Amino acid sequence: MASVTFKKIVKKYNDNLILDGVDLEIRDHEFVVIVGPSGCGKTTMLRLLAGLEEITSGDIEIDGLKVNDLPPAKREIAMVFQDYALYPHMTVKENMSFALKLRHFPKDEIEKRVKESASILQLEKLLNRMPKQLSGGQRQRVAIGRAIVRKPKVFLFDEPLSNLDAKLREEMRVEIARLYQKLNSTIVYVTHDQVEAMTLAGRVVVMNKGHIQQSGTPLDVYRKPQNVFVAGFIGSPTMNFLRGKIEKQEDFFYFSNQSVKIFLPLFSFPEVEKYSGKDVILGIRPDDIILDDKKIDHAHKISGNVEVIELLGHRENIYIKVGDQKILAVGEAFSNFSPGSLVEFSFNYKNIHIFDATTEKRINS
Amino acid sequence: MNDIIFSLLQVFGFVALIAVSVGIIELYLWSHFRYHDKNSIFFTSVFSFTFLALLFMNIGGLLSIKNFVIFMFWEIFLIYTSKKLIKGKNYLPYLLAAPAFLGLLALLLYPFLFQIYLSFHDLKLTTIMQWKQLGTIPFVGLKQYISVFTVPPLAEAGFFKLLFRTLLWTFVNIFFHVLGGFILALLLSELKIFRGIYRTLLVVPWAMPQVVAVLALRGEFHSQYGFINVMIKKAIESFPWLASIGVGPVNWLSDYPLLTCILINVWLGIPFMTVIILGGLQSISKSYYDAASIDGATYFQKLKYITLPLIKPVLMPAVTLGTVWTFNNINVIYLVTGQSGGTEQADILVSALYKAAFTYNRYSYSAAFAMVIFLILFMISISYSKMFEEKNTDKGAA
Repeated sequence: MASVTFKKIVKKYNDNLILDGVDLEIRDHEFVVIVGPSGCGKTTMLRLLAGLEEITSGDIEIDGLKVNDLPPAKREIAMVFQDYALYPHMTVKENMSFALKLRHFPKDEIEKRVKESASILQLEKLLNRMPKQLSGGQRQRVAIGRAIVRKPKVFLFDEPLSNLDAKLREEMRVEIARLYQKLNSTIVYVTHDQVEAMTLAGRVVVMNKGHIQQSGTPLDVYRKPQNVFVAGFIGSPTMNFLRGKIEKQEDFFYFSNQSVKIFLPLFSFPEVEKYSGKDVILGIRPDDIILDDKKIDHAHKISGNVEVIELLGHRENIYIKVGDQKILAVGEAFSNFSPGSLVEFSFNYKNIHIFDATTEKRINS
Repeated sequence: MNDIIFSLLQVFGFVALIAVSVGIIELYLWSHFRYHDKNSIFFTSVFSFTFLALLFMNIGGLLSIKNFVIFMFWEIFLIYTSKKLIKGKNYLPYLLAAPAFLGLLALLLYPFLFQIYLSFHDLKLTTIMQWKQLGTIPFVGLKQYISVFTVPPLAEAGFFKLLFRTLLWTFVNIFFHVLGGFILALLLSELKIFRGIYRTLLVVPWAMPQVVAVLALRGEFHSQYGFINVMIKKAIESFPWLASIGVGPVNWLSDYPLLTCILINVWLGIPFMTVIILGGLQSISKSYYDAASIDGATYFQKLKYITLPLIKPVLMPAVTLGTVWTFNNINVIYLVTGQSGGTEQADILVSALYKAAFTYNRYSYSAAFAMVIFLILFMISISYSKMFEEKNTDKGAA
């Protein structure tokens, strides 16, 4: 078990800047999920940590030991690849024991460890199969098993679930979570799927364009996104963004643009005074739009027209148009709305996110 | 100028002749397939086609009762096939395949059958006039097959010596083809720039007609003016100590003919293996190597545990093909040693066969000899593919 430190990591492919001075500290026993859109540099970070790519500048430390020039084998890490990379000509058992065999472990020790990790992952019956005789989920488990036998300091997962279908992905997600509880080791997990990030992570690191946008607990990242990118990337359905100005009327502050005027209570934006008259972006998650007549803030309710309703089973996505402003709300299934009908709603003021229009940084606390 | 036009006319005329003959054959088959259900087919086809066949046979000078009876049998066979089997459905594929099938018949099947026929008779220089005049040659049963093993085909070497030499030749060649091909392919796959250019250069000896390549190289092995001996002489001039350890010009063609042939053939065969192995290497997913790096494999361990097992599926067919081609390779041996004044020291089975047939004029003996070689090669190929299949099914079942 070990901590990992990235210090001012820069990675360039020729002139392409992939990582631009990334600093990140991963503590012992921590499950860190690096999430971001494709091309944001998250996989590169993992490959740098694994030693599969060379660092352009900066340092990586594992357990306080600088590993920049260590080959992958010496870093005591294990990696699970997106395409599993199981050796196709070896049985499950051979796949799992390959690393130990190369390190000249005694035979009974290899046997013991393979058995141990096979029982953790319920692979006992598959040990003599070839990879091509396994289903996607089983291959994934073997790939994880191959990592566990090594008893590495750090586990690296490179989008391990992206090749599985949706149902299997859910199962494996739970399995990985259970595995983490059992092994309690340092895990760095890369994904582009924010659901995996939210459910698995002890800490989420959101990346974009070679920079870390925000790093914090899943709840932090969800409730207090530090900028517009994080706010838009985390959460499903995507947050509504409204561009407008802060206005002051009779001691009260409002957010307004041509279409809507939204009351901003002081507790949701204590420093509102400072931004009076300035351009801001207001973000509100679809779940934080209140449609229930009993809970609506009737003094400041907004009315619009329903455009489209998408039934998802237990919920409905309701696309509302207020003037030229489109707003997505999530409501209970089988509501009585129908396209074109009038709808009245208000915002859950506790969960309003306000960003500076130019820097796109969060300005309410 | 007139000559050129005349030659062109000849070429076009020849093409037109082929086209017309193919057209006639197609029309002939088509009429059978299309009108199989007409009551008159039997009558008309037998009459009209027999008449035409007689006409053509007469023109070609093939007119004989035997040929006529053969044609009648064929005609009846064709009518019944089109009536009972094809029944006018989907006969287009048969029409399209017919010309190629006839070509195969003429170029492969007929010579093969004729060779079997020859191998049970005795056709040689002393009986060839009898064959020409009477059309018969003495039947000798298995005598030719026995002589293959007891009577040497050449002045200097018998069957088993030749067989041993052939196996040595094949093994050494294939070994160095695969080794050289593998090394070159590894280098090429690591190469970041100019890979296309190098690959093209490597393929040149393969793409060149073997006759040209072999004769050119044969010149380079000349004892006085060949490139190799010239280089040896230059080296001795620059480093006189080389001479003291026994390095000196070598009479390649007369002293080491088999070695020379092997050197030349290794050079000729490497490009093919390189291209095949390079293809295999490039099809291996890079993530296996990443996984192996993390598992702690060194470069050579990766070669042993990842690369070799994974290129085996492409390598095995290439080795099988290479074995057959090398076993059967008459070009190199004959072109290097086969001319007048050449040696028989380097002859392998096939080149000995060629000499037995066309230098010593023992046709029936050579036919039997060829059958024996064919059977050996057949067995080699079968056992290769068996080995290969078993390995595959083993993995599937395990």
